[in-house]
Amino acid sequence: MVCGLLALVAAGLVVVLYKGFGRDPHEVPFMMEGKPAPNFTLRRLDTGETITLNQLKGRPVVLNFWASWCGPCKDEQPLLDWGARTLADRAQFFGVIFEDTDENAREYLRTGPASALTQLLDTRSQTAVDYGVSGVPETYFIDANGIIRGKVVGPILDDRLLVARVDALSQPLEARK
Amino acid sequence: MSVSAAMLTLTLALGAFAPQQAGSAPLTPELELRVQALGKLIRCPVCQGLSIADSSSASARAQMDKVRELIAAGQTDDQVRAYFVARYGEWALLEPPAHGFNLLVWLGPLALLLVGLVVVFRTGRPRKTGLVPVATPAAGEDKYLDAIRAEVDR
Repeated sequence: MVCGLLALVAAGLVVVLYKGFGRDPHEVPFMMEGKPAPNFTLRRLDTGETITLNQLKGRPVVLNFWASWCGPCKDEQPLLDWGARTLADRAQFFGVIFEDTDENAREYLRTGPASALTQLLDTRSQTAVDYGVSGVPETYFIDANGIIRGKVVGPILDDRLLVARVDALSQPLEARK
Repeated sequence: MSVSAAMLTLTLALGAFAPQQAGSAPLTPELELRVQALGKLIRCPVCQGLSIADSSSASARAQMDKVRELIAAGQTDDQVRAYFVARYGEWALLEPPAHGFNLLVWLGPLALLLVGLVVVFRTGRPRKTGLVPVATPAAGEDKYLDAIRAEVDR
């Protein structure tokens, strides 16, 4: 009986360890896929005008969370700028400034690579928390109905990936599965 | 580790250079106690096993602000936890709920303790070997034993 109990507990421990070691403990799960994107009310960096997600419904949205202090964010900026210009007929591109000051973001956009994205200020990062952002850069792809179709964690450096993600926003939800 | 994961790690490390902002104003002492207690149970997404209440990172501060906002709006502790689970999964909880697979984590130590007790109980009892104790031979029964006894007594 003791041997049986020991075997049972040992099997349980093996399962726990297998599950524990089988994944990166720092990898934050993505739970928002297929769910309605949380509405936001954010101020434009350039004009101060307020923008809400509800206003943007009807056309797909690409939402890129970034900061001027983030190196990888700078790496992907040229590709996002290209996407905002080239794919403008397929999606609206927005940058959401994460944990940064207006001055730093303005200075970066003035001196850094060109950005055709409309930049929004997420003061106190409450929109980032609503979306489940765990670090920057993170880019969310939202379809015309306001449903989050996916996200990319880390910099987007492949134009084919960006085009594929944007094109997928125009396909029916079921067609992707 | 993939390139993107490495880059993200780098970014998170560099996140220490993010402009620091003060947390939102504390609520009433009673509500703030709840905020802090909940914050102790929610995992900071950019730290090594720290709660958002214990971390000084910008992300943790933003999440503590969100906890405050939800509590101030009248949400229950369960609703606040559900808010974070909906976004970050059960990964966000430092104390996983006791159901499903998580039961192994909660009941595993108890099961080990029980098995240990059973082992101790069984090994502590006298063994039933089936052997009959041998009586000590009386003087004169064993000549070798008699010789040893005589030697010892001398």
